[in-house]
Amino acid sequence: MATDNLLESLKRCIERGKVNCKSPHPPDMKGQDGADELTRKALDTGIPPQDVLSNALVLGMQHVGERFRNKEIFVPDVLMSAKAMSAAMEHLKPFFKSDALKHRGTIVMGTVLGDLHDIGKKIVSMVIEGAGWEVVDLGTDVSPEKFLTAVDQHPGCVIGLSALLTTTMINMETTIRHVKGKHPGIKIIVGGAPVTQEFANKIGADGYSPDPQGAVEFLNTRCLQN
Amino acid sequence: MGDPLARETEVFYPAFSELTINRLLLEKVLGYRAGGTPEVISRLIDEILPEVPSRTSVQCGFSILPIGAVSVSRETFTCDGVQFTTGPIIAKQLRASTTLALFVATIGSQVEQWARDLIDSGDAVKGYIADAAASEAVEQAADWLEKKVTERVRDRGWKLTNRYSPGYCDWSVAEQHKLFSLLPERFCGVELTPSSLMLPIKSVSGVIGLGPEVKRDPTVCSICDMKDCFRRQEEPAAT
Ligand code: B1M
Repeated sequence: MATDNLLESLKRCIERGKVNCKSPHPPDMKGQDGADELTRKALDTGIPPQDVLSNALVLGMQHVGERFRNKEIFVPDVLMSAKAMSAAMEHLKPFFKSDALKHRGTIVMGTVLGDLHDIGKKIVSMVIEGAGWEVVDLGTDVSPEKFLTAVDQHPGCVIGLSALLTTTMINMETTIRHVKGKHPGIKIIVGGAPVTQEFANKIGADGYSPDPQGAVEFLNTRCLQN
Repeated sequence: MGDPLARETEVFYPAFSELTINRLLLEKVLGYRAGGTPEVISRLIDEILPEVPSRTSVQCGFSILPIGAVSVSRETFTCDGVQFTTGPIIAKQLRASTTLALFVATIGSQVEQWARDLIDSGDAVKGYIADAAASEAVEQAADWLEKKVTERVRDRGWKLTNRYSPGYCDWSVAEQHKLFSLLPERFCGVELTPSSLMLPIKSVSGVIGLGPEVKRDPTVCSICDMKDCFRRQEEPAAT
């Protein structure tokens, strides 16, 4: 298969959530190679890992994020694609380790103090990972101090805060103040069902997104370091 | 049945089979239009649904306040001296109430934990479906409870408003603390954190207006900001 065709097929596997040859989904791709096999093939053919990542995987996930935003597909579809993405990423891991491949940056994600909601944040994290960013997920009920420690451990990172109730989203403000107090230049994006752009502006967040794709766009337009 | 001058509190433990969660419903909850669900998702729903009942312990209960203990004004209502600020939208719906039923419903924390474990073990799709099934189950537990309240007050000639929850319209979630202060401790096994989060997470709480003059409002969705809610009921066409 020519390089372009291979990358195009791989991108399609991501978009359609085709994990590997064995996976029966989607039915019209039954028996065909999935993200797993095609990534291996692409690398074995000598396509640079950066091209595999940027010209197939990331593009595929970007399309998925856009279709989700337009309500053409739903969370389970996004998760199927994320699964295909992660099968592909397994093959790229060694290149990240050897520095042959670099993440676009690092985002430290967490659900703020007092809130235990996890799934929305996890979905956003998967889509961000699919966009070539490294995600450090601190989990739920994360204190401002814990965010600060993570920033110290990941210099230059971005912070992503999630909350699902108005009573807990106020802890976003405390977190922003705490972290920006020490790192004024750090970029922070907030999201979650009750959060609005207006609220984000009010608490001094640098970005807000109602959906995962918006978070990716924020990262790619406002937070790239090189 | 019951003494309207005394507080009536009751907790129920309905079997999961009393709820009606099926594949079609769950597909809708997940966002798909009839016939538009990918085959793999339908299959996963079929795999998950049979596993849900053994992981739930449904509990729901109401506490009907004595007549005279409740008053409703333009933006607030008061129960046993505790004042709630719901804003005008909900207060208007409760206005004609003779009294109110406070309620809580939960399905326990096992499905939620299971969903989290599935996601953590790399099976995010299944985990998400399990989580959505749990959310739907607790809503249905609250629907089931409404029927019990209906039965309880029917002989008095009373009807029910829709149910309203702190956190909807202009009613602050922080008022969960007031609501829980009027209920027995750990009512239905649910506890409230200082940040007003109910544990188990798959729980709902709220209030229902009762009385001969109250009405269900089929257009109540028109007052809500959640334009994409799958539960949203279209307003009847203007004539
Ligand atoms: C860093 O950058 C980013 C960028 C994007 C980010 C981000 C970070 N983090 C998230 N995102 C975004 O991307 C994710 C993927 O698309 C999304 O993440 P989510 O986590 O939002 O999405 C999940 C994957 C799926 N979404 C969900 O699971 C939530 C959906 C809605 C309909 C919802 C549900 C299903 C439920 N609920 Co309720 N519930 C609502 C929700 C309204 C809505 N349409 O969002 C919300 C969250 N609930 C609300 C309320 C009030 C409540 N709920 C309650 C209960 C429930 C159910 C149990 C019935 C059920 C499950 C709840 C659960 N968390 O497991 C109660 C609280 C429960 C508790 N434990 O305390 C209760 C308090 C009601 C009550 N009194 O009983 C509202 C909160 C608003 C507020 N005032 O605080 C609410 C917004 C509905 C509304 N009023 O409009 C985006 O937000």
